Amino acid sequence: MSTQAQNRYKADLREIRFLLFEQFKLGSLLGQAPFDSWGTDEVNMVLDQAYKFVCDVLGPLNQSGDREGCRLENGQVHEPSGFKGAWDALYEAQYKTIATDPAHGGQGAPHMLQVITEEMITGANTAFSMYPGLAYGAAEVIQQFGTAAQKDRYLHAMMFGKYGGTMCLTEPHAGSDVGSSRSVAKKIGDGKYKITGTKIFISAGDHTMAENIVHLVLARVEGAPAGTKGLSLFIVPKFRVNDDGTVGARNDVNVGSIEHKMGINGSATCVLNFGENDDCIGELVGTTENMGMSQMFLLMNGARISVGVQGVAVASFAYLNALEYAKDRKQGAPMTSWKDPTVPRVAIIEHADVRRMLLEMKSKVEGIRALVMKLACHQDNVRFYRGKDDEKVAYHQGQVDLLVPLVKAYGSDQAFRVCELAIQTYGGAGYIKDYPVEQAARDAKVFSIYEGTNHIQAMDLVGRKLGQHGGKNLQAFVSDVATFVAQNDKHPVLGAAIKELGGAQEALAGMAMRLLMWFQTGRIALVPLAANRFLEMMSETAVAWLLLDGARIAVDALAALPAGEESARERAFYEGKKHAALFFARNVLPNVKKSAEILALEDQSPLDMPTDGFATV
Amino acid sequence: MKILVPLKRVADPDNANKVKIPASGATIETTGLEWKPNPFDEYALEAALRLTEDGKAPKVRAGEVVVVTFGPKETETTLRAALATGADRAIRVDAADDKLDGHLVARALKALVEREKPDLVLMGKQAVDGDSNQVGQILAEQLDYPMATFAATMKEEAGGLLVGREVDGGVITLRVKFPAVVTVDLRIVAPTSVYSMKTAPAFKYNDGVRFAALPAIMAAKKKPLAEVKLADLAADQGLRVTYHGFQAPPARKAGIKVKDVTDLVNRLKNEAKAL
Ligand SMILES: Cc1cc2nc3c(=O)[nH]c(=O)nc-3n(C[C@H](O)[C@H](O)[C@H](O)COP(=O)(O)OP(=O)(O)OC[C@H]3O[C@@H](n4cnc5c(N)ncnc54)[C@H](O)[C@@H]3O)c2cc1C
Repeated sequence: MSTQAQNRYKADLREIRFLLFEQFKLGSLLGQAPFDSWGTDEVNMVLDQAYKFVCDVLGPLNQSGDREGCRLENGQVHEPSGFKGAWDALYEAQYKTIATDPAHGGQGAPHMLQVITEEMITGANTAFSMYPGLAYGAAEVIQQFGTAAQKDRYLHAMMFGKYGGTMCLTEPHAGSDVGSSRSVAKKIGDGKYKITGTKIFISAGDHTMAENIVHLVLARVEGAPAGTKGLSLFIVPKFRVNDDGTVGARNDVNVGSIEHKMGINGSATCVLNFGENDDCIGELVGTTENMGMSQMFLLMNGARISVGVQGVAVASFAYLNALEYAKDRKQGAPMTSWKDPTVPRVAIIEHADVRRMLLEMKSKVEGIRALVMKLACHQDNVRFYRGKDDEKVAYHQGQVDLLVPLVKAYGSDQAFRVCELAIQTYGGAGYIKDYPVEQAARDAKVFSIYEGTNHIQAMDLVGRKLGQHGGKNLQAFVSDVATFVAQNDKHPVLGAAIKELGGAQEALAGMAMRLLMWFQTGRIALVPLAANRFLEMMSETAVAWLLLDGARIAVDALAALPAGEESARERAFYEGKKHAALFFARNVLPNVKKSAEILALEDQSPLDMPTDGFATV
Repeated sequence: MKILVPLKRVADPDNANKVKIPASGATIETTGLEWKPNPFDEYALEAALRLTEDGKAPKVRAGEVVVVTFGPKETETTLRAALATGADRAIRVDAADDKLDGHLVARALKALVEREKPDLVLMGKQAVDGDSNQVGQILAEQLDYPMATFAATMKEEAGGLLVGREVDGGVITLRVKFPAVVTVDLRIVAPTSVYSMKTAPAFKYNDGVRFAALPAIMAAKKKPLAEVKLADLAADQGLRVTYHGFQAPPARKAGIKVKDVTDLVNRLKNEAKAL
């Protein structure tokens, strides 16, 4: 209620309900194990209450947190004012543990709902969301790999806001190349190690919101092999935790400095020095050394999905604000009488080019949200079929694995582009700090960089995911699209667009074959040049498919709506779904075929280029 | 203490431009509107919850809050949200939105109060849709209960409340004896506005209304929600207010520049007829 600061976050709950219930049929999973306690009413109530929560508590701190930023004073980082209250409120409301296993005090909700509550938390205040986000990610690693004693000591505290958490991979010499890590762990017995090293860029690395912070640190045990396979993961708390669970003396972990950044300024990005006084005690996660990378991958999978969600969240924020502004700002005359200075000025949303920008933003935001939802739907199906149908579990898990790099990279690349379009939609006001979209653009840029740059994602897709299970995951994806095309390409409204999708799917499958051929014929050098574009092709195919599937549902719903004023709002909603899909299919989807043509040229000019040829400076 | 809190859902005031009137002007189009609980009713609920707990963490219930709304089946969403926020029990009086007015609601509430026998009826000072500001007053009159409107503070005493009322130019303090009707204003949800006899004098609430915690949302379905027929509460369902038609306010016309003060006065007199 202390609304000196204004909330600018908004969400289109109708669109979210459409995705959940009409397109992804969440209803068919509810009420059955493991979602027994969830029904439609609960889901709807959570949507309403979570939306209200983020608008009242997190949204008003978004701009102020950006302006104020973080401070480092006497070795202690101070987060922006108000964040501590928001932290307490968030953990009191318990949204972070919505999908957590009830055995650990969570509510066991479907991931489809969780990605929406996460979208709301992040969209309302991205910088704030980093702190609980990392705490939760780190807790999940301990839940999965920790010993019983470690779970006892840390898990509940980290899930419910008593302790924060971080993931410490990056070092000055080890960014994308995590295996170059120089941090060292020296065994001192009893599962304990002395850690020395410097980690940089550590999000949520320090703050005053929690009474302790649990750092998960990648380091190499003395004598372990070089590269990623010699890395182990350690629990390194800011304050040592006594056997009875109370917080003890300070550990030798110190904040060297905090970064001054382009965006997410309310999120502390820290240089952390471990063992400057040779007294930094950590314990191995689990009991086996050299498992650090695979353990961290669990965290990273979840974190990569979260970054994709961050992308949709901020893009949606920017789009809905631009839409509001476009309906309000009056400028210019209608095209038909543009020379007449006496005609009343129209709202800029009446101008064709502004509508084009808005529709591009809408189709991307809703398309990527659908892609995130599809991934979450596969996760839910994995949970649903586990122990009942191994084949289905394998199929759904395969799609999860395949879609993670798409959600992360496409979601984050497009988020920045949507923010840029939102600024353009505002005109000059968009560049001004009184309006919220410039911050959205600054906040969104990092999404394509952290959690593995988007090129690392693209290499993960083409180098690892395409070939996974003998290529089965990709084949299943392509054949799902082909089935949709075959069933719907004679659709009276969407037929032409669905045929275009068929063309894209063939181009994509052809390109996958070409990649394979490059691998087999020793032309691996071409792969990284094509990887980002391939990831984009696959993402655009997936997004177009999901948008057209939504449009198919919308067209059916339109036919069933009664005529008249009563259903005007619903009609407008479904028309919106239809036009967003048609726009994307006509204006973006043809890129897929074009990209395949470009890649077929096998251009190597970036490689042929002499390094000295880039410039003479 | 037992408190009855009437709740009304209203069209989302932040999206007031979505309220549409069909060409016939016969009704206000309500399908597809986004509904929210009336903010003043939410403040009343928050105040009621504060009066019925001891204020310490973990909050322990020490009394009963019953919420009631009038409306079709969908209005149960509003009640469930109130149950998730902490109310103990809910009643929906089945009624059609456009077959209600303030007087009828007050008459029906009177019958409900006689059944439920709460110590206190705590309600919003007004609903932000019609802004009528009358149900509380009519109800108190009908029940012949003491009443305090526009409460900004409440302090429980033995058998009653000390109520700080917002009035022009300040706050006036009234002592009301139970059973009573109190309507609340915005400031009732400030950190130190409400004290039960159990709340430590130094205790401060979070500013504003509380949020429903996830486990409480999940448990809300298990709390009792009863349906009552309007006819059981009000034999006479006649309306005192009848609507003859609805019209959107006229769009604001562009302003004009006046030459000088004389011109301004002339126009105010002859065109705007404001002088
Ligand atoms: C705000 C912020 C928060 C962060 N939070 C965390 C955190 O909490 N924990 C943490 O551990 N890290 C964190 N990071 C670090 C982040 O994960 C790294 O910045 C990222 O992995 C890239 O590493 P780098 O910055 O060293 O860039 P580099 O690895 O030096 O990359 C520079 C460029 O080279 C490219 N490149 C690098 N290697 C290859 C290759 N093999 N093939 C092709 N191209 C390559 C990259 O794609 C990029 O374009 C954060 C970073 C930022 C900016």
